[in-house]
Amino acid sequence: MPPIQPGQDPVALFEAHRAEIRRQKLWINLLLLGGFVAMLLWSIDVSRFWPDRLAAGVPRIFEYFGSVLPSFQWDLLFETRNAEGRFPPGSIGFWYNDFWKYLALIWETILMAITATLIATALSVVLSFLAARNLTPAPWVSTAARRFLEFCRGVPEILFALIFVFAVGIGPLAGILAITIHATGALGKLFAEVNENASMKPVDGLTAVGGTWAQRMRYGVLPQVLPNFTSYALWRFEINVRASAVVGFVGAGGIGAELNHVISFYSDDRVTAVLLLVVLTVTAIDLMSERARHALIGKEALK
Amino acid sequence: MTALSFADITDDDVRAVRQSHPQAFGDPVMRMVRIASWTIVIGYLLYSFHLFEFAKIFDSSERAWRLVSRIFYWQDMASWHYDQIYVGIAQTVAMAFLGTFLGTIFALGIGFLAAKNTMPFGVIRHAVRRLLDVFRGIDGVVWGLVFVRAVGLGPLAGVLAIWISDVGNLSKLYSEAIENIDRKQVEGVRATGADPARIIRYGYLPQIFPVFLSLSLYSFESSTRSATILGLVGAGGVGMIIIERFRAGMFDQVAFVVLNILIVIAVIDWGSGLIRKRFIGERGH
Repeated sequence: MPPIQPGQDPVALFEAHRAEIRRQKLWINLLLLGGFVAMLLWSIDVSRFWPDRLAAGVPRIFEYFGSVLPSFQWDLLFETRNAEGRFPPGSIGFWYNDFWKYLALIWETILMAITATLIATALSVVLSFLAARNLTPAPWVSTAARRFLEFCRGVPEILFALIFVFAVGIGPLAGILAITIHATGALGKLFAEVNENASMKPVDGLTAVGGTWAQRMRYGVLPQVLPNFTSYALWRFEINVRASAVVGFVGAGGIGAELNHVISFYSDDRVTAVLLLVVLTVTAIDLMSERARHALIGKEALK
Repeated sequence: MTALSFADITDDDVRAVRQSHPQAFGDPVMRMVRIASWTIVIGYLLYSFHLFEFAKIFDSSERAWRLVSRIFYWQDMASWHYDQIYVGIAQTVAMAFLGTFLGTIFALGIGFLAAKNTMPFGVIRHAVRRLLDVFRGIDGVVWGLVFVRAVGLGPLAGVLAIWISDVGNLSKLYSEAIENIDRKQVEGVRATGADPARIIRYGYLPQIFPVFLSLSLYSFESSTRSATILGLVGAGGVGMIIIERFRAGMFDQVAFVVLNILIVIAVIDWGSGLIRKRFIGERGH
């Protein structure tokens, strides 16, 4: 805004200046809006999201979801097995005929997530000390560790799963390895950020008494960062449960294979039976881990 | 006075210090808890190594070697059908953009239904939140497969899958943002006798727009990542090319495609950083 000359009306000057700024902003905003609309039209065209396809597709969505809902008959709802050992159609037992099979697979899914989270946490603790700029033994180690972690979290789990299914065969091991690598990348980055915020005073003290690098990390840094590490690891566990429910799509164990099979081959109430179990498991684990995390952080805040 | 050495310290001395300063030696209960939890963790890991047959890792060297060598040794690069690859990547980005856009539009409405301060009826709020839990609790790939079954192979299923995951995620985050706003501005607008639409427009929107924009941009980034793998179940995009060429053993081409996707995602990160800076400022989210 130019300085006010004598005889000029300051209000008019201010208004003129404001109008000019608004005009400039308007142009840039119009340009951004134009870019946005162009991008939108382009993406509608490229993903073939055309009205005729939508008109054909949307009714089929409702049709499909209608067909996978369980059909209950209220008088038969809690009916047990009949003389032939089958549940009558319309009962919960009929809907969840394979309940124990699903439950075993859910259990496997959870165990896969626990194992992967434990290994990933151990690996990423070590890598995070190497990657943190203030703690790394040499700058090039930090850069190398960072690039490695970026690669690990950049590639989606399910792609790693595909690769490991080829390398070690179909089964939960491939899924665990895939989730471990991806989670190591994600946790390593978060842990490294926590490390960079840690106080260096205990580290300096340990250096002064001749502690080795490993001892400085173990006794100088780890006690400071451990609550945060635990909280992040729990949070990652929630994500890993979701991931291990999906890696089965490419044959890497867990409930995913059953989910894939059921959705691909049937369009009846089996689909909702498995999906509901997955949602309940994921939600229950989210709630439990959220409680645990709040307890951890709450304890921190009281200190 | 001569300097003390470790040899001069007797067991009695140690016991005396232990008694006068019990805290200095650590809590025996806590130590037991620590030892017990380490035992459980290591025991569990050993059990799961056995359960999940970790020994198979060492049997796989030949196949793993074939795979790794093929990933790094690129051959016949002239016959890689780059047009398919880049059309696939473009389709992936388009699916993510459209899905996030539609998700944002829906979340704009649903977010207000799920926030405590804008939705006074607890029944509706909880019903909406549980529905959102279902949207979020099922992974995008599963939604992809469900929509492939419902509307057929192709990017439409992918857009719908991203849309439904984004509605779940964004509505929850939006409702949290709405719950965290400053009441004063809203009450100021209400005091002028504004109708509910104007209260939202002038009371809520200026406060939540930057947060919403930032969340939607993040959502676009993460949707691009998930759109990449939606193709594995036939829901359009570059994932279909990845799985096709992986199954054919062309690991070098898969590596090339993944490398390209990582670059595209890095570019999107950078671009959305610029937009975020423009609308939200340096200190933003």
